[in-house]
Amino acid sequence: MTLLRLLLLLLFVSGCPSSRLDEPGVLVISQEQQASWTRNFNPFLASGMARWATRAVIYEPLFIYNRLTQKYTPWLGTEYTWNEDGTAVDVTIRQGVRWSDGVPLTANDVAFTFNYIKQHKGADTGALWSFLSSVDIVDEHTVRFTFQRVYTPGFHAISQSPIVPQHIWQDIDTPLTFTNETPVATGPYIEIDVFETQLFEMKRNPLYWQPANNPPKRLRFPALITNDQANLALIRGEVDWAGNFLPAAERIFVAPNPEHHNYWFPAVGGSIYLYPNHTRPPLNDRNVRKALSLAIDRQLLLKVAMYEYAPLPHPTGLTDGYLRWRLEDINPNHWVQYDPERAGQMLDAAGWTRGTDGIRVNADGQRLSLTLQGVSGWSDWVRAVQVISRNLRTLGVDVHLVSYDFGAWFHRTQTGDFDLTMGWADEGPAPYDVYKALMSPSKVKPIGDPSPNNWHRFGAPEMTALEAQFEQTTEFETQHNIGLEMQRIFLERAPAIPLFAAPAWGESNSTRFTGFPSQDNPYARLSPNHPPETLLVLTALEAR
Amino acid sequence: MSGRFGFIIRRLFFYVLAAWVALTLNFIVPRLMPGDPASNLFAKFQGNLKPEAMEALKETFGFTDAPLWQQYINYLSHAVYGDFGISVSYYPTPASEIIWTGMAWTLLLLGTSVCLSFVIGTLMGAWAAWRRGTWVDNILPPLLSFIGSFPYFWLALLGLWLFGFMLDWLPVRHAYGRGVTPGLNLPFISSVALHAFMPALTLVIVSTGGWLLTMRNTMIAALGEDYIHYAQARGLSEPRVFMNYAVRNSILPSLTSFGLALGFVLSGALLTEIVFSYPGQGFLLLEAVQTQDYPLLQGLFLTITVAVLFANWLVDILVALMDPRTE
Repeated sequence: MTLLRLLLLLLFVSGCPSSRLDEPGVLVISQEQQASWTRNFNPFLASGMARWATRAVIYEPLFIYNRLTQKYTPWLGTEYTWNEDGTAVDVTIRQGVRWSDGVPLTANDVAFTFNYIKQHKGADTGALWSFLSSVDIVDEHTVRFTFQRVYTPGFHAISQSPIVPQHIWQDIDTPLTFTNETPVATGPYIEIDVFETQLFEMKRNPLYWQPANNPPKRLRFPALITNDQANLALIRGEVDWAGNFLPAAERIFVAPNPEHHNYWFPAVGGSIYLYPNHTRPPLNDRNVRKALSLAIDRQLLLKVAMYEYAPLPHPTGLTDGYLRWRLEDINPNHWVQYDPERAGQMLDAAGWTRGTDGIRVNADGQRLSLTLQGVSGWSDWVRAVQVISRNLRTLGVDVHLVSYDFGAWFHRTQTGDFDLTMGWADEGPAPYDVYKALMSPSKVKPIGDPSPNNWHRFGAPEMTALEAQFEQTTEFETQHNIGLEMQRIFLERAPAIPLFAAPAWGESNSTRFTGFPSQDNPYARLSPNHPPETLLVLTALEAR
Repeated sequence: MSGRFGFIIRRLFFYVLAAWVALTLNFIVPRLMPGDPASNLFAKFQGNLKPEAMEALKETFGFTDAPLWQQYINYLSHAVYGDFGISVSYYPTPASEIIWTGMAWTLLLLGTSVCLSFVIGTLMGAWAAWRRGTWVDNILPPLLSFIGSFPYFWLALLGLWLFGFMLDWLPVRHAYGRGVTPGLNLPFISSVALHAFMPALTLVIVSTGGWLLTMRNTMIAALGEDYIHYAQARGLSEPRVFMNYAVRNSILPSLTSFGLALGFVLSGALLTEIVFSYPGQGFLLLEAVQTQDYPLLQGLFLTITVAVLFANWLVDILVALMDPRTE
């Protein structure tokens, strides 16, 4: 018995938890939430299948679109020039960049990357070859992208694609099944020298092309299984950079260490909308949709569901990431605010009057009954749809609230099997990207066909001409005016109801590293959830 | 076929049949769920997948539109070799590889917890029955039942908060600490023991009460039997009567439940694993269901089914061996 006790004591003593003071220069990142790591760094696979670091750290694109400055930052490409009629764009490749195995980066690698995905359609997830006709080398440092037709928004997809080395990938015949365990790339951290199921670590790339002043020496990725575990690590100061949803951030995260713990959730991406299904009357009546919008108390929603992290939406649905595009001269009596009286009046005028039980009925005696669906795992959205359903019931709508598991919800949303659903929207560098997804007739798929966007099945006929005009010009002035026109159509037709601007979750711990973006230093988004903007942050960090 | 050997073989046939039924259900049920892996794949790309890429990916991933019976034959013929296909959510890692990483840790954590709680609970129950009416019998069963009524994950959360977060005495996550290399070395083994201590403790505390009560009740009945009195009258020593006659006969019902519990070890203690970020099979199962990762789902269900059936078969053998009436 004594021997047993002694043995147990010995075991515990020698296994005591090591001090939380890490070796200096190790940046601990929490972005992906996984139970255990699988070693896959394939840049052609979606996040979740390949590690976050693949597109966020290891592989680099030609240009990085910075949502805060609304500009393209030259990265592996230094400049781009359109030709006269907008049918081709020449990109100059940065000189002096080397792959992590020492081979220099040239235009060959860039041209190869795009021709490779032409060959292997499964890797062309952005459907670049639906508008590209060829990618050729002009000279050692210039690549020409020729389009099938004038399609200037195509530049964005080209600019964000990760560039891969020709001398490695030319021998790989099945890009999707290749796990790419030891990547060769151009990023600031590439070599994975520790890989366990619970943890993996990467070393600084000694050949990295950008000079840096005392950057982190290593990146460390602990496997954190759910948001709660990730937040626990964050609160205890064990993580330096994270992108978690953090409830009551001031109280639980900042308060324990106000000097170093910081969170910043700028809403410069897309907005979250309430989508009404236009194939189901009376949601095809724009006055009904506007009335529903006026009945929603967004302030309350943001307080209850989002801890007031998100701001009220702009009436056009465009966030501050579209400042230079946004229509500011808007009628103050717009429909994206809380005015339950006017909402009631609009419904009365549309033929929906209150019945004896308070629920509105039309002339035929039909009750205004709608189902509202949300995602059952996402607690913030669950609370949001609860607030919305309460508001709508006060308005006199018989709301049935249903929550589905993500898979089932997404299937129903995509196939148009809903009355009202909460959902995100496409973002992109210009209003064109947002409104094409919300209002383009070309994006309207029949009910039952899964659709990547335009779940509400609405097409404004004027959009077709406007889209074409936008695609065919490279002049900002022209594009700007087209964008304003699209916003006016959105305000007039009310295809979807903006709820709030979606924040980009980002937390930082500056105990060991400085240079994180913040409210006071907004050079890029703090959130690691939006590669490749992550490179802007990683290259600015310095060890204390 | 007769006798003990025949009994074992007959049971084996029954289990093989049960396994086939389970395999078939395992194939059908995930396909009855709304949604499908293709949509979930679509979701992974945040809905950004263009139709052409989607088609190519579907082909690569092997989402066939082949008739169901063809898929079934394909599934069955591969399943017997342990080949469940390539996981969709962890593409392109084979599902069997993913399952193996989780299985080892689940076996360790839950295997030891179940065995420990069985041994401790049963012995305590036997002792309580042997000393019925004393303080042991009056206090232990109600106390442990009371503790056992707490949800195990609540105890896990409490333990994590108190010993991990507030006092920092025990680690708050993972199966082993940083800086130790996996392998048969003392730092690794002690790290594993330390990290498994709190999760295992919460599981053991909660389940001991059940074993105790079962054993105690069976044994109290057995102690009233004539052969106990006869053995004592014949002058056999107390410990011998206790172990060889009372416990041996009373343990049989507990053993059957133990077999079942052992089998379900592989379903993992989902919530404990989540609370402690323990890389076991429970969380893998949840993830597979949520992403409708058919290969992984099928593989996990199969391992659980086989484990349950195998454990039950073993227990059947054990019972047959131990039950003096079958001699």
